[in-house]
Amino acid sequence: MKAVQLKQVSFAYNKFDDKVLNNVNFFINYGEITLLSGVSGQGKSTLISIISGIIPNITNGMLTGEVLIDGKSIIGQRLATICKKVGIVTQNPDNQIIHNIVEDEIAFGCENFAIEPSKILDRIENVCAIVELDKTAKTRSLSGGQKQRLITASTLATGQKILILDEPLANLDFKSAKLLMETLELLAKAGYAILVVEHRLDIVLPFANCVWDIKNGSVNKVENKLDYLQSQTKGIDYNCNFKSISNIILRLQNVSYKVKNKQILDEINFDIYNGERILLLGENGCGKTTLLRLIVKLIKPSKGVIERIVNEQNLKKIDRNWFKTIGIVYQNPNYQLFMPTVEKEIEYGAINKEYANYLIDIFGLEHLRKRHPQSLSEGQKRKVSIASVLAGKPKVLLLDEPTVGQDYDSLCDLVNILGDLHNQTGNTMITITHDKRCAEALCDRAILIENGKIKEEGDKQFVRKYFMNLQI
Amino acid sequence: MNFIKYKNNLYPLIAILSSLLILVVGLVMAKSIKCTYFLIFVLFWLIMFGCYKQVIKMSLIFIVIGGCFTIICYFSSNKNIISALSMLNRFGAVFIAIVPSISVKPVAMTRNLSQLHTPRSIVLGLLITISYLPVLKMEIKRVSEAMKTRGVGSIFNPKIFYRAFLIPLITRIVDISDTLSLSIETRGFTLGKSNYTIYKKEKIYFLDVIYILGLIISIILVVLL
Repeated sequence: MKAVQLKQVSFAYNKFDDKVLNNVNFFINYGEITLLSGVSGQGKSTLISIISGIIPNITNGMLTGEVLIDGKSIIGQRLATICKKVGIVTQNPDNQIIHNIVEDEIAFGCENFAIEPSKILDRIENVCAIVELDKTAKTRSLSGGQKQRLITASTLATGQKILILDEPLANLDFKSAKLLMETLELLAKAGYAILVVEHRLDIVLPFANCVWDIKNGSVNKVENKLDYLQSQTKGIDYNCNFKSISNIILRLQNVSYKVKNKQILDEINFDIYNGERILLLGENGCGKTTLLRLIVKLIKPSKGVIERIVNEQNLKKIDRNWFKTIGIVYQNPNYQLFMPTVEKEIEYGAINKEYANYLIDIFGLEHLRKRHPQSLSEGQKRKVSIASVLAGKPKVLLLDEPTVGQDYDSLCDLVNILGDLHNQTGNTMITITHDKRCAEALCDRAILIENGKIKEEGDKQFVRKYFMNLQI
Repeated sequence: MNFIKYKNNLYPLIAILSSLLILVVGLVMAKSIKCTYFLIFVLFWLIMFGCYKQVIKMSLIFIVIGGCFTIICYFSSNKNIISALSMLNRFGAVFIAIVPSISVKPVAMTRNLSQLHTPRSIVLGLLITISYLPVLKMEIKRVSEAMKTRGVGSIFNPKIFYRAFLIPLITRIVDISDTLSLSIETRGFTLGKSNYTIYKKEKIYFLDVIYILGLIISIILVVLL
């Protein structure tokens, strides 16, 4: 018996809307990791909602065809019944956590499924051992990867045999991502049916038993996994013509940052030259984002000095001009988008209208010009947020995970655009990414941070070695 | 040692009941000096029952806010001590009443409510509030930071406040609440009739009874004497 089977399923959110899914035939087997991959906005979320019973129980729409979960049709089944079989781990586990302690969080689902209290303790201990979590730990102090594993553990403890993970690797470094995939592999071997919806195929594909590609609302099985992997994961090449010049634009001297008793950054020393492209490497929670926040003056160092020599002067006042000189693109684009249309969003803060139009054109946002930025898919939102910050022609551009949510084609486009604009403007770029496909193409020099300290520096070769070592 | 350890966990419903009692008595009797004695007694009583951390937290806020209002009241009422005292007592009652409630762990409160078969909608409301507050605090900080990074001016300009602060914040809040409610539902929590168990049941101990009896006796003494 298949865990999930969709037969000729079509869905539209409204009678008059276009179909989001069109005659989809899809299945997930027990004992396998199934991968669903595809471009943003092609119907992946809708498919997940159908499998998890959210459609038609919570979200209404025109659903036709047959959906079988564990061999039973979902028609007439309550969400509570479907949920006993299907568990979901969403993109942002932060928003799924309810309780303060790991043990209580895992117990929550078990209590709702009326599992005997004496058995709940056993289950908590079992799943904590599988996902390598301490049951007494505080949930809010866990890292991104640990939070992802916590929600997975909560799902496992309730005995849901079908697991859906929506972009689980989006914000994980290579080690955490691999650990999660290894955990999922163990579960699949134990008989669980696992569906992973993911863009980072280089990590997931070696673990996947079955691969599906979703495009324009139709889902197709990928027969040749190796070809698909190669076509989607080969490293992106970009040769930068712009050569950095010798003057220093940013100088960090003995910079440390501490929150309460936790040392986030410790004695950081390095110089960044005008026109350089720097890549910050390191595991989750090693202090990369904090370093960007310090550079852009969103926070102050506990110790040390950051000299910012932009425009031959050390700018001190943090105002509109400051953020036009040093632009930062957030990991989550939702925070930085607020205008009523994409066009106005990019024009806001742009040096002029022509340049805003030029960016709309090269980012391929022409057809979305009049759309509300918050109505776009995550991948599109990210493009808009990058274009909006670039529109001010910042001298220094800080990018925090700019490639999350981008499929391979969009990723190639984005890397080329960033490279071309760098060649044209000679801006200084500091990027954080865990995506090995584009890491080399986005840097001239890489800095590896470990436990808040600079461990090593190097060039593109060093980046290649770093990712290769991680794989080993 | 056990005595002190135990007192860190008041029985949730007794904690809420004591909060209500302190608040009502404090507000009704605010004009009397007896109220001040009562509140001082409650403060020590709470410290004895392990709520010292919460007492310190609330005392600091009380000294700043309550102190300011008491001084304002004293001078605005032609240096009338009674008015100042009643203002001090009212603020004292409010802040001390908060102490037992915040000493209860949220998870203990929801489990206690479930245990007493409280309607699931109330438990759900409480669950969402518990998980929402820390997230909301963080979101407000992140949105205002993001505003700065896009070169947006002062938050006190209504147009800017609406567009650059309120819109991203509301979008985030809707997004988070959507995920949160889905997370709760897909993990088996339903509003309708359904079976559920309680992992760790809350129990009333002898010391809980002593705590609430001590409070009630002190109220009776304050009223009668």
